[in-house]
Amino acid sequence: MKLLITVIIYALFITYLLGAVLFFIGNKSGKKQALLTAGLMVKIGFVLNIAALIVRAVIAGRLPLANSSEFTLWFTVIIVALYLFYETKAKMREAGGAVMLISALLIGSILVLMKGQLGEAVPLMPALKSPWLTIHVLTAAVAYACFALAAGLAIMQLAKAETKITDGSIHRIVVGGFVMLSLTIVFGAVWAEQAWGNYWSWDPKETWALITWIVYALYLHLRRRLGWKGKTASIMVIVGFVFVLFTFFGVNYLMSGLHSYA
Amino acid sequence: MEIIKKVYGYLSSMKTGLVLLVLVGVAAALGSAFLPDVFFNSWLFKLLLIILSVNMVFCTANRFILFKSRLIKNRNRWLREIGSLLLHAGIVFILAGLLVHTYYGQNAQIAIRTGDTVDVSRVIKMKEPFSLHLDDFKVEYNEDGSPSQYNSYVIVIENRKVKNDAVISVNHPLNYRGVKFYQQSYGYLVKAKYINDAGNEVEELIKEGNFIRPEGTERTVKVFRYIPNFDPEHGMATKTLRPDNPRIIFSVYEGDQLLGVGAAQFDERVEIDENVYVVFAGVEPYTILKAKSDPGLPLAFLGGGMFVIGVTIALLAAPSQEKKQEGSFNKEMR
Repeated sequence: MKLLITVIIYALFITYLLGAVLFFIGNKSGKKQALLTAGLMVKIGFVLNIAALIVRAVIAGRLPLANSSEFTLWFTVIIVALYLFYETKAKMREAGGAVMLISALLIGSILVLMKGQLGEAVPLMPALKSPWLTIHVLTAAVAYACFALAAGLAIMQLAKAETKITDGSIHRIVVGGFVMLSLTIVFGAVWAEQAWGNYWSWDPKETWALITWIVYALYLHLRRRLGWKGKTASIMVIVGFVFVLFTFFGVNYLMSGLHSYA
Repeated sequence: MEIIKKVYGYLSSMKTGLVLLVLVGVAAALGSAFLPDVFFNSWLFKLLLIILSVNMVFCTANRFILFKSRLIKNRNRWLREIGSLLLHAGIVFILAGLLVHTYYGQNAQIAIRTGDTVDVSRVIKMKEPFSLHLDDFKVEYNEDGSPSQYNSYVIVIENRKVKNDAVISVNHPLNYRGVKFYQQSYGYLVKAKYINDAGNEVEELIKEGNFIRPEGTERTVKVFRYIPNFDPEHGMATKTLRPDNPRIIFSVYEGDQLLGVGAAQFDERVEIDENVYVVFAGVEPYTILKAKSDPGLPLAFLGGGMFVIGVTIALLAAPSQEKKQEGSFNKEMR
């Protein structure tokens, strides 16, 4: 089982990376074949990602929602699911390169930063034994994934002179992420009140989730009220995702607090 | 009047609100990096949150006043208007709850030994005092020896009558008359006795780190630490928290001079001087509960609920009608 999950994670990393490269080649040269193969990679990756979650659940003997590598698997599987949905709806593959590259790098972080985590069966600690775990972690994964997809679209929009990626579609995805982040924070607060006795403790993870929330709240207000669109809005979406990444990685590796489960 | 109007205009504007939000974000980022415990409790940060609250109260009040006219103007967007109002009012409620917590909230740590009763009103001010009695404290373990749950079996006593019995465990606090009790930590007292040459047995309950001073010798024994699962490879750290191989680490002194260190099993007779023995008979657990009374909690929860519902319907209910309103809103931003 330990070997199996390692093999799946490596295969997943290669699949996502290959998908990204093929998307970049296809979009640059206009070769249909490259884009079609890239699309196939996304689907193979999606299946492998789900397989990784299932194998991890079997190893751990529970739903894989506790440590950072488990979270990363949810993070990427939701990014890819959202991307597939977006690709079908928008009928174009311009954003595939950036989105797949983000997914590949996230899986790569499991291989570099969280080595060995997925092979070990570590039981849940008492504080995590709550129905809120599922809700809090999954809403967080959906929120982060929305922000990742939005950032991927924004990067491609900025990189290209002519693009079919619309400001409106990026905005809609950010809105989805913002709602989910809001739910994550509030559900997390309700749970913290139950488990730790305080709904807000200025724990680094809480603090940085709030800061990330503020960045996207600013984006939404400035866009609606001041009409910040196009380039400026896209830059804000990318900056917002940097905050998401810091809330996830930076807080785990640079700060210590109540959320140190990895 | 002009000045008041101007100040009100400035305080209630959304621009000010956004600037304040940025300030809170920057302050929080700096605070989390440097001295979080000091920073987030500082008056400066609290003042910032209070100013933000005031701004949001005015901002939301303005919204509420304009609510009806806006509804008439944008009849097809009533869901978004309601949601927006609800979410901003929700944030105001959360901040108000936090403020009440800061000034009227009470927190205390209570340590109770099995069989003991603690008067809760001594640490948390309350109108109708009650006590908490600890019947038992049990740690449950996973197969690998890691803890799976900590349980405090308690009885609530009010006016010398048993009112309630409950199990307090992690994620399952007890709420009694507005005071909430959380399983926070635990510890052990060591049951030690010494036997001297006169044959006298003296029993004591000792806290880790304290000394036993047996009669009949100048030597003293420091009860250094209880290790539930002793393994020489792990040194002074326990291998797991489950008591698979319990030992008491102790050291013997004569005056200031350390004579030796040992790891005694339960009921093992340790000779510390001629005909003077120390026996560690076992450990007695005590629980550490966090007691909390927060009159602001209902307010914060109500705010949280309003915020969640508001944000969901405001942003998800009518995303497609976005374009129509741009013009009408731009004017409001001062």
